[in-house]
Amino acid sequence: MEIGLNHYLVLSTILFAIGLVGIMRRKNLLLLFFATEILLNAVNIAFAAISHYYGDLTGQMFAFFVIAIAASELAVGLGLLIVWYKRHGNIDLDTMTSMRG
Amino acid sequence: MLDHILSILIFFPALAGVMGFMINKESMRAYGVSVAFIEFALSLWLWFAFDNNISGMQFMEHLPLIPSFGINYILGVDGISLFIIILAAFFTMIGIASLTDTKDVKNMIITLLFLQMTMIGVFSALDGIVFYVFWELSLVPMLYIIGAWGGPLRIYASVKFFLYTFAGSLVMLVGMLFMAYFFYQATGVWSFAILDWYRLILPESFQLWLFAAFFVGFAIKVPMFPFHTWLPYAHGQAPTIGSVILAAILLKMGTYAFIRFSLPLFPDASVYFMYPIAVISIIMIIYTAMVAYAQKDVKQVVAYSSVSHMGVIILGTFALNVEGISGSVFLMIAHGVVSGALFLLVGVIYDRRHTKLMSEFGGLAHVMPKYATIFGIMMMASVGMPLTINFVGEFLSLLGFYQQSHILTLLAGIAIVVGAIYMLSAYKKMFFGEVTKEENRNLPDVNKRELIALIPLVLITIWLGIYPKPVLGPINNSVESVVQLMHNKATSEEAKMRIPNVSGVVISKTATKEAH
Amino acid sequence: MELYLYIALFAPLVSSMFSALFTNTPKKQFVGIVASLLIFTAFGSSTILLSHILGGGDIVHVEMMTWMATGNLYIPFGFVVDQVSVTMMMVVTLVSTIVHIYSIGYMDHDKGFNRFFAWLSAFVFSMMILVMSDNFAGLFIGWEGVGLCSWGLIGFWFHKEVATWAANEAFIMNRIADLAMLIGIFLVYWNTGSLQYDIAFPAMATLDPSTLTWMGIFLFIGAMGKSAQFPLHTWLADAMEGPTPVSALIHAATMVTAGVYLVIRSNELYDLIPNVGLFIASLGAFVALFAASMALVNRDMKRIIAYSTLSQLGYMFVAAGLGAYWVALFHLMAHAFFKALLFLGAGNVMHAMHDELDPFKMGGLYKKMKWTAIMMTIASIALAGIFPLAGFFSKDAILEAAFVEHHFIIYSVILFTAGLTAFYSFRLVAMIFHGEERYKLFGIDPHEAYKFMLVGMSPLLILAIIAGALKGTYFEMITGLLPNTEYHLHSELTYWIMTIGTQVFVALAIMYAYKKYAFSPVSVPDGTSKMENSFMYKLLLNQYYIPYAYEEYIVKPYNELSAALWKVDQNVVDASVDGIANIFYKTGENTRHMQSGNLSTMLKWMVAGTVALLSLAVVFGLAARYSGEIRTILSGLGV
Repeated sequence: MEIGLNHYLVLSTILFAIGLVGIMRRKNLLLLFFATEILLNAVNIAFAAISHYYGDLTGQMFAFFVIAIAASELAVGLGLLIVWYKRHGNIDLDTMTSMRG
Repeated sequence: MLDHILSILIFFPALAGVMGFMINKESMRAYGVSVAFIEFALSLWLWFAFDNNISGMQFMEHLPLIPSFGINYILGVDGISLFIIILAAFFTMIGIASLTDTKDVKNMIITLLFLQMTMIGVFSALDGIVFYVFWELSLVPMLYIIGAWGGPLRIYASVKFFLYTFAGSLVMLVGMLFMAYFFYQATGVWSFAILDWYRLILPESFQLWLFAAFFVGFAIKVPMFPFHTWLPYAHGQAPTIGSVILAAILLKMGTYAFIRFSLPLFPDASVYFMYPIAVISIIMIIYTAMVAYAQKDVKQVVAYSSVSHMGVIILGTFALNVEGISGSVFLMIAHGVVSGALFLLVGVIYDRRHTKLMSEFGGLAHVMPKYATIFGIMMMASVGMPLTINFVGEFLSLLGFYQQSHILTLLAGIAIVVGAIYMLSAYKKMFFGEVTKEENRNLPDVNKRELIALIPLVLITIWLGIYPKPVLGPINNSVESVVQLMHNKATSEEAKMRIPNVSGVVISKTATKEAH
Repeated sequence: MELYLYIALFAPLVSSMFSALFTNTPKKQFVGIVASLLIFTAFGSSTILLSHILGGGDIVHVEMMTWMATGNLYIPFGFVVDQVSVTMMMVVTLVSTIVHIYSIGYMDHDKGFNRFFAWLSAFVFSMMILVMSDNFAGLFIGWEGVGLCSWGLIGFWFHKEVATWAANEAFIMNRIADLAMLIGIFLVYWNTGSLQYDIAFPAMATLDPSTLTWMGIFLFIGAMGKSAQFPLHTWLADAMEGPTPVSALIHAATMVTAGVYLVIRSNELYDLIPNVGLFIASLGAFVALFAASMALVNRDMKRIIAYSTLSQLGYMFVAAGLGAYWVALFHLMAHAFFKALLFLGAGNVMHAMHDELDPFKMGGLYKKMKWTAIMMTIASIALAGIFPLAGFFSKDAILEAAFVEHHFIIYSVILFTAGLTAFYSFRLVAMIFHGEERYKLFGIDPHEAYKFMLVGMSPLLILAIIAGALKGTYFEMITGLLPNTEYHLHSELTYWIMTIGTQVFVALAIMYAYKKYAFSPVSVPDGTSKMENSFMYKLLLNQYYIPYAYEEYIVKPYNELSAALWKVDQNVVDASVDGIANIFYKTGENTRHMQSGNLSTMLKWMVAGTVALLSLAVVFGLAARYSGEIRTILSGLGV
């Protein structure tokens, strides 16, 4: 059995679903970041696979952009997380409700 | 000055109101009365200068506001609006003059002056948008009057009043925008001028939708059954002056708008909706009269009686002939005078006893004979006694509608029976019998200040009941032109048949007059 | 002549306004005197107008000013003095002058003396408008005006609950009839184009009979209210709560006859619709008998006379319905004289007896009140229709009219009623003035009324005696306007048999009344005698349970329905408005939890939203793609 495009796309979908459940269920900010990473990487796999399938490099380039932006975003995010942890002593999402409507 | 008299009438009270902030508290009442008196004198001058033989608009003013969208500041009066303007000026005057120990009398007077601006604005505006602006603005002072000087439930009552009528007028605004859009489609020019709209003949299907949109706004304002429930709260909670102005003038905006907009703009739709509206009016007349009979609070009796009378006005309007519409316009004036007076009278006893429950009174005719007499006259006027102002309007409205439907008129005529029932029983509860409550034994009779407000109303009630011609004549001329316009614009066969051709009638009228 | 017309019309108004000036001041004798003088002036002017008309002068017709004019409608304040209206004017002004004078004495000790004259004169003014108007709208002004004054006068002693209740009842019941009257007026206007008598009536000849029938019916229902015909009759007996002069003037002589006047005035209309006429006559005959039966057992002096009025009104409607308009008007006139006299006499008795109304508690008053006794006896003889008093001529003419027109059922009913009338009238006279002096048991010391009151009543006494002699002159005058149908029996013999038979019948009824109530001992009924427990007696005493039925089946349900509707207004209409408002409030209230600020919750909502939008996109995409197929399926299903 040859590994084809569909296998990659199914993998990407499964990862995406895992990430989605992660951002909905996780109460820990750090784990929330992990979940977003999984989401982004699911999309990256899809980009790379489709790009390879069409023989067009634009998709792989886009995947690199996403990786770069995800890294910088994570850097900012972790920074904020550490500040928050220093101030409050925890990183539980349910306590971050100063914007309560 | 006469060229701009309408603008002066509108903005003089507002300007005077702004100046009022600088007047000190002690001289405020005198200031308010004199401003209102000048305004009233101006309105009388307007009547004096008014040419009774012209049926169209007079004292027109025209000032471009947003010409590209056809929004202009256009004013004018005809026989239909003239007397309501005078009535508004008159009631503001006697309202301010009869103000009793109100807290914050300064704010009250300023509010009243602003209210006067919006009222006169509504009745003289000839541009849809300007009309709408004044229409909505009039809610604000009233909201303030009920909310600041009202009874225990004042916040609920005022918010209800505001939101309910406001929601209705938004639908009306949508109707106006569509009307202007249709005008743009037909002519290629935007216009919100009512007189321009008059020239537009719409297909019947458009008319029906637009009529419905306008109807929602007007019906809530009138208020028509089943949109009437804000009124008892508003009246019940408002201070005397608020109720007087509300009943005498603000309610008339709805019925006036029916004649100004609905009838001439949508003649076919008016005919189409005539029977449903007549049925609503009859429900209004009988149902609210019965509810009035069940009330324990005399002010609520008068409030519900207002709704009942407004039913007769609507019925007369949708008679769609000269007799009925003239009658309904006249009844607007009449109802303004009579219900205004009745609310003032209720205020008199409220000031003395701080209660409006009829069970607290009884036998008042022994202690307050003058009060009982004036109340009796006004009650009889409200019941529709001939030779009082109300009878002329009611008689003509019902007479007019009789041409459209016999059986519905018979049902609507029950008004004169049920009206007598609630009014007479209320009068009996308050004034007849022995004095049972100790507090009532030494009540002072009406004092000078109250008489100043009430006597003119009694005189008008009887004068216009015996000699309605000075008012009925101009009304008749303008109504004839409205009916003629409707007849000419009507497209369906039925509408042509239902709406009489007045120009044919005029000849026979002069013939009958010569015969006498 | 126009000047006299205006004087006759406006003197009562001036009188009323003059008296009204003093309503809040203590009793002033001159108010009564001035008012009486002014009403007398009106009477004088009416007399001059009468002599003008009698002398063959033209009808006086004036148009004072426009009242309402709009569209096609033109209603002036127009007044006309013709044969019919001048007769009514004479009756009204004469009786009211006497009642005014009488009231000066009767209301002597009343706190509301001045107010009384204001109302009484206002009534006269309204009545004058009613009879003098030359159009239906003017008639309606007077019609409502007399209703208003009747309200004010029945409830004159407003501290009494019963009086104000009766006043409201009278007003409201009349309003029901007025509605029909108004509809009749609308019918006249939309079919003839005018409300003027002289335009509307000639135009009716060309109208469709069914329209005319409706017109006639509605106008007659109006007349039924004012003339208290069945089923709108209950107010009249209750109206006796008012002062007695009011009963004499309004509820006997003038206002209640307005209905008859309307039918007479509309004779041209009713001539065109004989079926309605027959209905009027039948109802009249029924009411004559119905009211007389209630008078038989009643124990209230004034109510007995009120029922007798009702019964006599029935007679008038019999005549008017059968087309004998002049006879109806003649009976109206004669009745006004003797009935007013009877009421004023009853007023004297009431004064003497300190407002006691039960004749069983009187008896033997003849010794104390000779003049009153004579007057009331003569009035009763006239009412019974004994030759040669007024009632004989007028009532006999009605009987003849019914006989000649071959309405034998109506004839026998009203003949029988004539017997009842004689019986109850003399039952009353016998119980008040003859027999034992039962009043002594109640410690009352009766006294005769003031001299001037008796002198004031004397013109009525004279007219009650001699009015019959005026029949010839009256007939000549009135037939200038009304149809001059004379009612002659073909055979002289039948005439004599009928007349003498009637007289004997009536005389027997009188004798029976005397035998039963004057010459045998009468005891105050205490509910134990056999007669009092009989079904008929109870039925009659309770007025056939009609007031009870009205109270039970109309008034109470109305109250309950009103209360229920108020509940509906609050709990259904208003509640649904508040409900709509609450939907918005509640939606906001509930959804604001979404904006909790909790990142986790917000992320969940975001996912939910995305999923929802995506699925929508998919559904629409599929629908667009397969639109052709969907349409085929739907059309296959018949949509």
